[in-house]
Amino acid sequence: MSASPSKIALVAVAAALVALPLVSSEFVTSFLMTRILILAIAAASIVFLFRYGGMVSLGQFLIFGVAGFMVGNAVGDSGSKGLKLGWDPWVGVIFALVICLVVALVLGALASRTSGIYFLMLTLTYAVIGYYFFGQVTTLSGFGGITGIRPPPLFEGHPWRLYYVALGLSLVVYIGFNAISRTPFGLALQGTRDDPIRMASLGFNVPLHRTLAFVIAGFVAGCAGILNIWWNGQIDPTSISIGPTLDLLIIAVIGGISYFEGAWLGAAVYVSANIYLRNVPLVDQIGITEARFNTVIGLLVLLIMVLSPEGIMGIIDRLRRGKREAEASVPAMARVGSG
Amino acid sequence: MRATETGRSRPARWLALLAVLALTVAACAGETTDTTGTTSGAADTTEATEETTATTEASTDTTAASGESIKLGILAECEGAFGGFNEDVVAGVTLALINHAGATSNSTTTALDGFANAVAGGREIELVGIGCGDDTADRIIQEIRTLVEENGAEIVIGPLSGDESIAVANYAKDHPEITVLSGIAGAQETTLQVQAPNYFRFHGDGAQWNAGLGDILHNQAGWDTAAIIVDDYSFGWTSSAGFIADFCAVGGTIAPEARIYPPLGTTDYSSFIQQLPDPDEVDGYFWVVGGTGTTAALEAFVNAKGELTGDQHAGNLFFNPGLASTLGPGIAGAYVGGFATPPGDVSSPEIDEYLASADAAWETLAGALSGNEPAPPSVAAAFGFFYGYYSGGVALVNALNAVEGDLSNNHEALRAELAGMTLELPYGPVSLDENRHGIVDVYLSQLVLDGEEVVQQTVALIPQVDQTFGGTFSADTPGPSRDFPGCETADLPWSGNAIPVVDGVPQE
Repeated sequence: MSASPSKIALVAVAAALVALPLVSSEFVTSFLMTRILILAIAAASIVFLFRYGGMVSLGQFLIFGVAGFMVGNAVGDSGSKGLKLGWDPWVGVIFALVICLVVALVLGALASRTSGIYFLMLTLTYAVIGYYFFGQVTTLSGFGGITGIRPPPLFEGHPWRLYYVALGLSLVVYIGFNAISRTPFGLALQGTRDDPIRMASLGFNVPLHRTLAFVIAGFVAGCAGILNIWWNGQIDPTSISIGPTLDLLIIAVIGGISYFEGAWLGAAVYVSANIYLRNVPLVDQIGITEARFNTVIGLLVLLIMVLSPEGIMGIIDRLRRGKREAEASVPAMARVGSG
Repeated sequence: MRATETGRSRPARWLALLAVLALTVAACAGETTDTTGTTSGAADTTEATEETTATTEASTDTTAASGESIKLGILAECEGAFGGFNEDVVAGVTLALINHAGATSNSTTTALDGFANAVAGGREIELVGIGCGDDTADRIIQEIRTLVEENGAEIVIGPLSGDESIAVANYAKDHPEITVLSGIAGAQETTLQVQAPNYFRFHGDGAQWNAGLGDILHNQAGWDTAAIIVDDYSFGWTSSAGFIADFCAVGGTIAPEARIYPPLGTTDYSSFIQQLPDPDEVDGYFWVVGGTGTTAALEAFVNAKGELTGDQHAGNLFFNPGLASTLGPGIAGAYVGGFATPPGDVSSPEIDEYLASADAAWETLAGALSGNEPAPPSVAAAFGFFYGYYSGGVALVNALNAVEGDLSNNHEALRAELAGMTLELPYGPVSLDENRHGIVDVYLSQLVLDGEEVVQQTVALIPQVDQTFGGTFSADTPGPSRDFPGCETADLPWSGNAIPVVDGVPQE
């Protein structure tokens, strides 16, 4: 019945994150950590699709953005852009989630019959179409985007509440995605990942499973997108352009695209590097300024791809396995010695 | 088997490490500009050491300051279409503090290394950070949040670009504990619609800067119909709104299908140029394509529609004599809208003193107008991007001096002082309207041939242009967009009343 070290570590991390607003500055809680959690939730949807469905999606940030634009249009009531419907924020949330589900269903149904590089390219196309759609359709946004979007009164002036919502949603997403693996749907989805032809011959509807997975991932990305516009107060097409789209995949890769924990780790590394790299003493003397951030992240990804394709979690996993093997070998040696 | 795999992978890992190191060195060594031409800030080691010593010595000499320092953040622009102006805008603030607050620059060749010894209202002004914008609202919000919420900035000067300014003004509205002085962002919505009580803009907006241009083009150049090509973002819309309102007010027409809106930062304009009417279908083209896009768009026009003829083209502030170097002298004859600074032919003792002070503050600056190559600092100082930030810096110092550094009660005294001041600046005084937005003089100009060289010559002065554009715009009208304003005749206060300028002197 004793808890495994990994579970103890997870509980400890969760407890530390819950206590964080009590011991850290407001900036760390309301800016750094909230942003990490929001991006991590979106990145976890990439991990979900890859881990269970074998699909590398570049469409998640589009759905993340769709949620933001829909909230912006529904809730906004001033400015020159958007529909300015002025709805109640919670009605805006429901509206945004419904639109996200519809978009994810349509895009997922279209993409479900492709796999591998074709799925990747198709979802990349979605991202490009989304960028230009919101840029060109000024009724919904325009390239300038929608600004001045306020969160529901519950969060206004209380950024730590948004942090706790992001933290709570992170836990739900983490536990939920892990739990799906043991459901009949999750098992079938993993089957379609490993051998779609055999699964089809066994009577499973492979495209339907992939589509449903895309819808689930889209719903999660949409939730992250809603948190993001509450946190950021604005969204523009550049927020969901190719750069941020690739950044989300990079976050998943840095952390380890096969591990759900990797989404949070990758987001922590990415966001922290973005904010704190410029403050490292003398780093500007070697040409690494904030304008060089993408170069640094690119090098980091290159390193990870070569040294640990499974990302930071892969390194942790290897260290853990090495320790376990070492521990297992000690009694064996002792037995040999005593024998 | 396992040992063999490990043995194989080790050299690969070391090779990878070497490759990464080599890439790092290649990316950083000897590189002084990025893709947008922004200076990296890397300095010669010896020079840096000397500067550090100087800074240390200088920092001990703050006897005039008392109490806690005032924390200042600058929202600059290190990436995107206006990334080349990073040095210019930081230098603008720095020169204001050098000239009016006794500051000293930490470097003789760049403003990005910061300054020391700035004192205003009896308190030291401490630079806590320089935000790195990329002309998007998303990025600038991250940057101002870092400056304010992490670095503790109480006063922020910036941003540069239109969409950024709307986002920053909304942020300021939600954060009454800070005061923002606009850099040079010229979107109308920022002040006319958002109306943040702690956002001050001591310069005009894009529409104001084009006041009177349509009148000249219709009544002097003979344009009855025009097509416009406009950067598809807030500043582009605002700038074109000024031209449309002015041109249509006096009887010109711009057909809805003759309004083309390429995204800001477009590199290939050919598809947008194809949508423009041909030269025999309209009397002229008005260009609102800025930053890195100006030359690219005009080159695409030459490729698609034939040679440029200056009398059929006009542009906002981004038209300048430098275009002739790539497009040829055919651009001569084009009229140009105004900006925060007039062309170089307008001079006065105050302007001369201001430009000389820039040259005294640094040996060289790698500003955008010199292609981000080292040049006399007055080259950058004479252009509006530098000057807009300079204006914000001067306003801050004057206001701090007036209230003796009092930032209590959410900067109440400082804001009252800023709102009521008439700022005496080298290129003329600026006062603010009820939305804390500048009422400005606008100088219109024309590109003309001086021998074989194309130069910019001031042709008219439109005094005291306000943001409502003679009542055309208000908080109740929609913000400028692709569809607004429409093309309607109106009675603008300056129509037919522009003051001619001859040899840089207004003929009042």
